[in-house]
Amino acid sequence: MPLLEVADLTYRYPDGTHALSGVSFAVERGEKVALLGPTGAGKSTLLLHLNGLLLPASGCVTIDGIAVSGGTVREVRQRVGLVFQDPDDQLFLPSLLEDVAFGPLNEGCDPEGAELLARGVLQSLGLGGNEMRAAHHLSGGEKRLAALATVLVSHPLVLVLDEPTSNLDARGKRRLVRLLRERGETLLVATHDLAVARALCERAVIMADGALVHDGQLEHIVTDQEFLDHHGLWAEL
Amino acid sequence: MSFRHLDQFAQVSSPITALAPALRVLGTVVVALGAATLRLGAWPQLATLAGLVLVLAAVARIPLRTLLLRMLGPLVFVLFASVALLFLVPGEVVARVWWIDLTDNGLLRFGSALGRAFTALAAAVILVSTTTFPEIVQALRELRLPHAVTTALGLAYRFLYVIVDELERLQRAARSRNAGAGAAKRRRLLVSVVAAVLRRALVRSERTHRAMLARGFHGEIISLHRSRVDARSIMLLALLGLVVGAVTLSSYLAR
Repeated sequence: MPLLEVADLTYRYPDGTHALSGVSFAVERGEKVALLGPTGAGKSTLLLHLNGLLLPASGCVTIDGIAVSGGTVREVRQRVGLVFQDPDDQLFLPSLLEDVAFGPLNEGCDPEGAELLARGVLQSLGLGGNEMRAAHHLSGGEKRLAALATVLVSHPLVLVLDEPTSNLDARGKRRLVRLLRERGETLLVATHDLAVARALCERAVIMADGALVHDGQLEHIVTDQEFLDHHGLWAEL
Repeated sequence: MSFRHLDQFAQVSSPITALAPALRVLGTVVVALGAATLRLGAWPQLATLAGLVLVLAAVARIPLRTLLLRMLGPLVFVLFASVALLFLVPGEVVARVWWIDLTDNGLLRFGSALGRAFTALAAAVILVSTTTFPEIVQALRELRLPHAVTTALGLAYRFLYVIVDELERLQRAARSRNAGAGAAKRRRLLVSVVAAVLRRALVRSERTHRAMLARGFHGEIISLHRSRVDARSIMLLALLGLVVGAVTLSSYLAR
């Protein structure tokens, strides 16, 4: 059974905009998949369905055998770690320690245990010593790592990242990619950056205008410039 | 000095930073209350309290210049707010400036207001210079302020920086296109920028709420609160309270 399965997912925004049209794909346990597509393709909208922040107009999303619905969001959110595009959206408490402990505390962990978990994760990501710092005192790269820490602390089965390397310099990208490679979670990464996608993932799911247009091995498409141009992607300048 | 670095002395090791944040907050309140309740005209006692606070600043390793600079803005505000006391409070006229009569009671109240403000402000500056805002929020929780209030404070503090950053970015972008030349145009620009920032803040609040929901938020922010109050801190606070209390009381007994 796939760990993550999206079946014929359709979604329309309240203003009537068709955001997703019949999207279907599955991700097996341990797989690392890149979600590619131009701006407005529906990538972020799709990601919001994976932990029940949006619910489908039709179709189904299943995480670890659990169909995502209003009644199962709590269980689903314990299994899916979603890292948002802007780390400032994810770091909303006065200190990093509180931000990272936020998830475990909501899952019923006691304060001492949550603090221990949070300190451990921050240490493992090279952010040890910054526990009492506020997010606005961090660099862009540190904020990205901190946002990742807020999710990793809950040991999700699936890690879902929305543009994890945007606004990062080359060193920051390398550091983040290295960290993600070392981890064993199933990974779904929405990105414009094909270099990052190639570094992390073997498989690519490509979206355009709310529909899934390609699902296959990443290496097969990165050298096909015509394919990339057609789908609004850019391998190299 | 940027408001982002107000707590630059929080990382400096000193007897003040060794105290539990809750007791630093209480100590500030004790000093401010002591100054506020001094008898009018108790200049020796006022000077004693002000001197005590300056000593505490030195103990906290805050340079005098830094302390005074940080107090300057609020003190100027107090100055303007209390200058009317000089001529509005009835009393014996002691001086005349142009057509304005300055009275003895007016001078007394003006001097007291400045002196008390100086002392209380100095204590407040020591607090915010040696205590990070997260510590202050935690201290307020320990002091049993309502959870909704401390949560709102924490969130507001965090996003104040985000909003100020956005405001600065928008203003910079506008200035680089030569917008805002002239006072009237600058005012209009400011209104547009503020409106844009408010719109963005609203959108950001929705995104942040989603991020909170994604991590299991179900209506209440649970804190990591653990009290750092120890016996030594309590004793030091009690000592401060005794000293301030004695000074204040003496202003009434020594008439």
